[in-house]
Amino acid sequence: MLRFFVLFLLIQATLFGLELTPPVQRWFVVPWTNALAQISTAIVTSFDPNVVAVGKVMRSTTNGFAVSIEAGCNGVEATIVLLAAILAFPAPWKHKLAGLAAGIVAVQGLNILRVISLFYLGQWDFEVFEWAHLYVWQALIMLDVLIVWLVWVRTLPRAPEDDRAPPGPPDAAVASA
Amino acid sequence: MRPSPPPDVDAPPTPDDAPAGVPRGRSPLARFVLTVILWLPVTFAVWYLVSPALMWVVKLVAGVAVMPFGDLVRTVEQTGSTLQFVTSLKPGQAAGAGVVSVSVDGLLYSFGMPMFAALTLAAREEGRWKVLAIGIAALVPFVTFGIVADFLKNVAITSGPLVASQAGFSGPQREVIAFAYQFGTLIMPTVVPAVVWVVTHRAFLERMRSATPVRR
Repeated sequence: MLRFFVLFLLIQATLFGLELTPPVQRWFVVPWTNALAQISTAIVTSFDPNVVAVGKVMRSTTNGFAVSIEAGCNGVEATIVLLAAILAFPAPWKHKLAGLAAGIVAVQGLNILRVISLFYLGQWDFEVFEWAHLYVWQALIMLDVLIVWLVWVRTLPRAPEDDRAPPGPPDAAVASA
Repeated sequence: MRPSPPPDVDAPPTPDDAPAGVPRGRSPLARFVLTVILWLPVTFAVWYLVSPALMWVVKLVAGVAVMPFGDLVRTVEQTGSTLQFVTSLKPGQAAGAGVVSVSVDGLLYSFGMPMFAALTLAAREEGRWKVLAIGIAALVPFVTFGIVADFLKNVAITSGPLVASQAGFSGPQREVIAFAYQFGTLIMPTVVPAVVWVVTHRAFLERMRSATPVRR
């Protein structure tokens, strides 16, 4: 358990530090954030044609309301946390890669739902938008990361010895996965 | 809390094999997630209502946390869930122009608390209220970290060169403050509650995992 947490924190801090560097911002974060605005707009225009995306901004052509996808709202940090949690957990690489692929899709999928919901919440009631934006969706995205990680841990192959072993301390039980 | 049945490696797990603390049913995890989602509106409402009391505690810890910065902070005041750091810095060159005061919304750094509460209550472990209290107490220093980092970012970076020069932070120190602010804003408010929950629910997680079929 201790090894998992140390690795988790190290990987997370390293990736987060890398995320803040200008090259990663320029070549990954900004293009991804712009793509997120494009994807969200493409989904929205299937039922609401009065929406356009310019860079990282989604704008309503009807009333001019716009949301700009900033750091913390592009799902990159949530993905980093998931990545660190999966990489730090003792598991075969095949399972880690599968977990990462499915997990990133799950996290970014929910994040697109966040962006779209905030876009419409903001047009409806700005106070509700602020609450959803600053507190509720932040917690929900991290909850999503935690659930994805729990689901992934449950899908890992368990050796029959795991069940034969006498109940040990929780430390050993979780770290032996 | 129901007693755990003895492990039986020969019998395949059935839906009713869900161990104590894990809701019985076809998918214990799905039931757990649903329970968390049902708890969230309640825990968010309670968190919002009691946030002034929580921030009073954070204010006390913040008062200690800024001590290493000498007389930079004269006092930490509170209005609702907002903390004001009253500094000794002058906003301008004119004499008697007052001092710089920085306000930080404590809710921005403590919204992980209702998430932790919802997870803890949904797990329905024995002694969950005690775990909840301990977990919330454990989160206070991290909430304080985010708030103090926000304050420092304001005086060292975003308040302009006149104020920043009075604060006296070096270039590397400002880099550290910038990283601490970003980490304290984007990562810590949600990750730390999740980590505290995992640490305080290891037995629950192991039982949840034990419901997974063994692959031979």
